[in-house]
Amino acid sequence: MKPRARWWSAREPSRITRLLGLAVFAAVLFSVPAVFTRIEPYTMSDGVQMAILAIAALGLVPLTGYANQISLGQAAFYGTGAYTSAILTAHSGWNPWLALLIGAVVAGGGAYVLGLFIFRVSGHYLALATIALGLVLAIVARQLTITGGSEGLPGIPYLTVFGTELTGDVAYYYFAAAVLLVATMVVGLVVRSSLGRSLTAVGDSAFAAAASGIDIARYKRVAFVLAAVLAALAGSLYAHWVTYVDVHTLDLLLSIQMLIVVAVGGMRSVWGPAVGAFVVVSLVRFSKEWLPALSEKAGGQVEIVAYGVALILVLLFLPRGVVGEIADLFTRLGASSPPLPASASPAASAGGGDAASAGSAARPAPVGKERS
Amino acid sequence: MGQLLQFVVTGLATGATYALVGLGIALVFQVTGVINFAQGHFVMLGALTFAILEENGTAPVPAALMALAGTTVIGLLVERLVIAPARGAHVDRLIILTIGAAIVIEGAALVAFGTQPRIAAPFTEGVVRFGGVRLERQYLWVSVATILAVAAVWVFLTRTTLGKAMRGVAMDREAARLMGISPRRMSLLVFTLAAALGAIGGVALAPIQHPDPGIGIALGLKGFTAAVIGGLDSPAGAVAGGLLLGVAEAIAAGYLPSGYKDAVAYGVLVLLLLVRPTGVLKTVRAVRV
Repeated sequence: MKPRARWWSAREPSRITRLLGLAVFAAVLFSVPAVFTRIEPYTMSDGVQMAILAIAALGLVPLTGYANQISLGQAAFYGTGAYTSAILTAHSGWNPWLALLIGAVVAGGGAYVLGLFIFRVSGHYLALATIALGLVLAIVARQLTITGGSEGLPGIPYLTVFGTELTGDVAYYYFAAAVLLVATMVVGLVVRSSLGRSLTAVGDSAFAAAASGIDIARYKRVAFVLAAVLAALAGSLYAHWVTYVDVHTLDLLLSIQMLIVVAVGGMRSVWGPAVGAFVVVSLVRFSKEWLPALSEKAGGQVEIVAYGVALILVLLFLPRGVVGEIADLFTRLGASSPPLPASASPAASAGGGDAASAGSAARPAPVGKERS
Repeated sequence: MGQLLQFVVTGLATGATYALVGLGIALVFQVTGVINFAQGHFVMLGALTFAILEENGTAPVPAALMALAGTTVIGLLVERLVIAPARGAHVDRLIILTIGAAIVIEGAALVAFGTQPRIAAPFTEGVVRFGGVRLERQYLWVSVATILAVAAVWVFLTRTTLGKAMRGVAMDREAARLMGISPRRMSLLVFTLAAALGAIGGVALAPIQHPDPGIGIALGLKGFTAAVIGGLDSPAGAVAGGLLLGVAEAIAAGYLPSGYKDAVAYGVLVLLLLVRPTGVLKTVRAVRV
């Protein structure tokens, strides 16, 4: 997260830019099934996975991208959501939507309580505490009978939306993509709000932020709770998709995967998780396709090499992620050519319209319009 | 009482490995500010290569030396290829990079060696008994290896110019730089040293743990717990923390259902981080932001 000298001027894309970006994003999400059902080796289940993974990783944009807090416990909250949905619907026969809500509340509440303590001191304790939390939950889930032990919990009902039962991958994809779109808009609002600015300040310099009267612990906690809620939501969606939950939903590798998703896509962009999820799921798909022999020997886990290599290469060579670097490219192009009006700038339609981007370096942001 | 004593003795012996892992983590953190998520994987590599070399008929001593050399080279490569190129980056990015390095090491070990656990022969067979307590001889070897390694690190840090330079960087990076000490060279040195420490622990542990590529994460986390008990930036504290953790785990494992044994260490870690993240074994310093 190197400081960018022009961040204050390159920061705010106009409302039109943002709406255009959102429209492009919606169009891309909408057309995924048309592509994935035709092009090998993708399947529609990859599409659902991408959407769920992107939702789960989305909360890391404010938390890790803005506030510089590394969480390796996203899977703990994802698993909390998945298990809550599973237990309440398959076991107790509750309404799935209510169960989903309760899962999000439980995860958010857990994150809040953890956050009360963990953000009192800074440092990198969050990463350690969240890993340990995930591992404790996985051990407990493997032991208890209510969670089905190491067998897991089967028999979770499908979701019903407007009277239609979502059984097929294509239908479920559209549902998950709609959730992703809404979640992206919500996180976009959060990072543009005063909360987002405070988080940026906390991430850039905690000392300066504290000196300016920002309650840094509180802001970190809010971002942490948001990340937990989104992860739990994704976990519930996963549970109703595969209709079966086991301890793999709490796996540390899943938390690492989510961190890779935001690192690859771009930690400071709300579009980052979607792009990152596409790259990560593609990596898994292709490594399974091309390296089956290796995969068998490694117990089907060969893709973790690909994960690791991708993570290292991206952090070394594209430290701002795919979206961040593309936006940067447009910024530089924009800076060398005559200034363009916001809506005509190329970055506007290229999906770069996030907080830290978009062809606007040559054009000072009108301060008065910042919160449009 | 005899049973409790047995738990304490076994715990101290197991804790010796955690102490070594914790020592490596604390050293790297002190010198570079980075929490090295690959530390447990260095132990795994040392243990795995030692066990595999032995399975293939290499004599124990050359096998141990080769495992040590191999792992040390990997530590050096991790620093050169992953950490050094990102110099100037925020520490958070470096931490995520060590996670990347850790999963590459684990994945490469999976691809190269497969998932099955490897079995190494104990250095010397048999069991020692004293005062109603029985202990496999291999645990004594683990303790001896830890004591020697810790003593060597202590001598290095306090009696050699290079070690003093390293402590200088840990105390004040800028001042050390002004004295002509290169933090980059110290970073390379400390990662290499940490890998060597990990390998020593791994070789001694191999006959007890039956290593497979997946043991790295658990060992690393127990090392973190050890280091955090000691306050994360104190080598001596990390060693003491490792021993404490080993004892706590052995006692808990004796009285809890067996499936929960690992949960103890992680539960201790969560609680510590929540309640007293500055370490149990030292007095609190100024509040950091």
